[in-house]
Amino acid sequence: MKTATRLSLVLILAAIGSARAADTIKIGLLAPLTGSWASEGQEMKRNVELLAAEQNAKGGLLGKQVEVVVEDDGGDPRTASLAAQRLTTRGVVAVIGTYGSAVTEATQNIFDEAKIIQVANGSTAVRLTEKGLKYFFRTCPRDDEQGRVGAAVLAKTHAKKVAILHDNSAYAKGLADEIKEGLKGKPVEVVFFDALTPKEQDYSAILTKLKAAGPDVVFFTGYYPEAGLLLKQKRQMGWKVPFIGGDAINNPDLVKIAGVEAAEGFEFLSPPVPKDLDTAEAKAYVAAYQKKYGEAPSSIYGVLAGDGFRVVAKAIEGAKATGADQLREYLVNGLKNFPGYTGKISFNAKGDRVGELYRVYKVDKTGGFALQP
Amino acid sequence: MEQFFQQLTNGLAVGSIYALIALGYTMVYGVLKLINFAHGDLFTLGAYLGMTLLTSLLLQDRLGTAAGLLLLAVMVMGLVAVTGAVLERAAYRPLRESPRLSAVVSALGASIFLQNALMLVYGARYQVYPDILPQNAVSLLGLTVPVVRIAVVLVSVGMMAVLYLFVQKTKVGTAIRAAAIDQGAARLMGIDVNRVIRLVFMIGPALGGAAGLLVGLYYGQVNFTMGWTYGMKAFTAAILGGIGNIPGAMVGGLLLGVIEALGAAYLSIAWKDAIAFFVLILILIVRPSGLLGERVAEKV
Repeated sequence: MKTATRLSLVLILAAIGSARAADTIKIGLLAPLTGSWASEGQEMKRNVELLAAEQNAKGGLLGKQVEVVVEDDGGDPRTASLAAQRLTTRGVVAVIGTYGSAVTEATQNIFDEAKIIQVANGSTAVRLTEKGLKYFFRTCPRDDEQGRVGAAVLAKTHAKKVAILHDNSAYAKGLADEIKEGLKGKPVEVVFFDALTPKEQDYSAILTKLKAAGPDVVFFTGYYPEAGLLLKQKRQMGWKVPFIGGDAINNPDLVKIAGVEAAEGFEFLSPPVPKDLDTAEAKAYVAAYQKKYGEAPSSIYGVLAGDGFRVVAKAIEGAKATGADQLREYLVNGLKNFPGYTGKISFNAKGDRVGELYRVYKVDKTGGFALQP
Repeated sequence: MEQFFQQLTNGLAVGSIYALIALGYTMVYGVLKLINFAHGDLFTLGAYLGMTLLTSLLLQDRLGTAAGLLLLAVMVMGLVAVTGAVLERAAYRPLRESPRLSAVVSALGASIFLQNALMLVYGARYQVYPDILPQNAVSLLGLTVPVVRIAVVLVSVGMMAVLYLFVQKTKVGTAIRAAAIDQGAARLMGIDVNRVIRLVFMIGPALGGAAGLLVGLYYGQVNFTMGWTYGMKAFTAAILGGIGNIPGAMVGGLLLGVIEALGAAYLSIAWKDAIAFFVLILILIVRPSGLLGERVAEKV
């Protein structure tokens, strides 16, 4: 008797719970809220939550309110797999995220098997869209484009000897390989190709070895915490060779960690940073963000997450459904030149964003990022 | 040749920080036979406290850089020492009579607690130390070495020398060594073992906190996870030198730092950690109790 009462109570509660759930459309956000890239993750969360609130103010999606379900991937593939598993049990129709390529890679198959659309915002490693996963998309560009732009930038510096340093992560090694490919056939010698260990703080051994190889310029393809320390310690050593970075360097914390004097003159590749987004809607969005959070968005990857949310919302409205196959159909075939804040967005059949996005930036005397022509 | 000496100085600087942290591990093991997993997080606590005190009190402006840093170091070491004593009282003393495994689990729990507490208080982002140390380099035997690197080695070695003299030449130091050899016999000799243990849990963390402050000043960047990497390396250094052995921790730390730097320079940077741990395995196969042996038992 007691068992029967308990069982029926549980069933009733479950029914009530799922009935409540049916009133909202859940969109997941997988972001590095803690760990090395916490500043990126926090901005991703802010962007998506702001956009969800704006969407709800307009009446939600298909008549239902949008609910953002946030999970922390910790910037680590293992934590991310667990977080992804949790998201698949929460009834989300799509997931925005995440930032690091290795982290996204750990979650791709989980979402693909659960038939949940995934839109990554910061993972630029080429192979993520070469696996034939139907439900994976990304609003960020990819590293073969970055490799071409990187090689072109290096050629412009008239350097004869180039050192390439990465950190063995999926993204950094991929980009380093692309740059090396891009330099083939050019009168440039790659005198150094090796990796540092992330999360360490002492790079004096590596910098000493780099210096001994005698390069004219060093291309570092890793992330911003390590880049900041490299620049700082390079200056302590009194070594003046210019460094160039890939797009994971693009974060204001770089200047904070390295100090303005060490960071000045450093160049890096990146999609346009938020302050350089030039459409009227983008500027209005930046102003709305500033109003809600008290500061302008500082990282483009947060805004790319926001654009990820917007394309998903558009797909849900356009397909008038939330099933993964319908959404995929709409994203590949129905969405053409969607006016994203980061530029026009269309997806090809692999899930990649179409178009050229990379620009060259330089850190100026005040520590700001200046767009180079 | 020049690269060799440059890498040697690099290795000594990093190694002296490992050595300072390793001392905390080794002292606690010597007396309690317990690996204090929370030690790495006490090191991180020292780095964060140093940053907070530095930015809020601005001692370097009021007293001048040298005196200001000295006072800052004393404050940081004191605060971390108190935390160490509280940690001992809360997490380890109640489990003194319990099986060893309980204390180990408690240590892990304390580590997780401290790390997350720091994350919640200070945030998950990287924090930066204000730039107050001189950035110039000196010419030493034909090499250009940053002044701070030399200062780190000298300060660390100085602190280790003071600790060594304290443990060898003072009555309290002798009590610590006695408790490390045999707690029961020490008690019979009239030594208050509880007091000794508390003292060990203040000195070890104080040195760890000082190492944290040094790391913050030298590298400029602190993060709530930094205790993990440094703690693991320092623990390795303590084992390398002989766990429980104080000079062993110093030698182990310096040696590990140098092996890492030279391995990075001459073999491969990407394999640097693998090389260091490979050397550790080799040394332990030849000398299982570490380079200087476990807890050299002396005739007191």
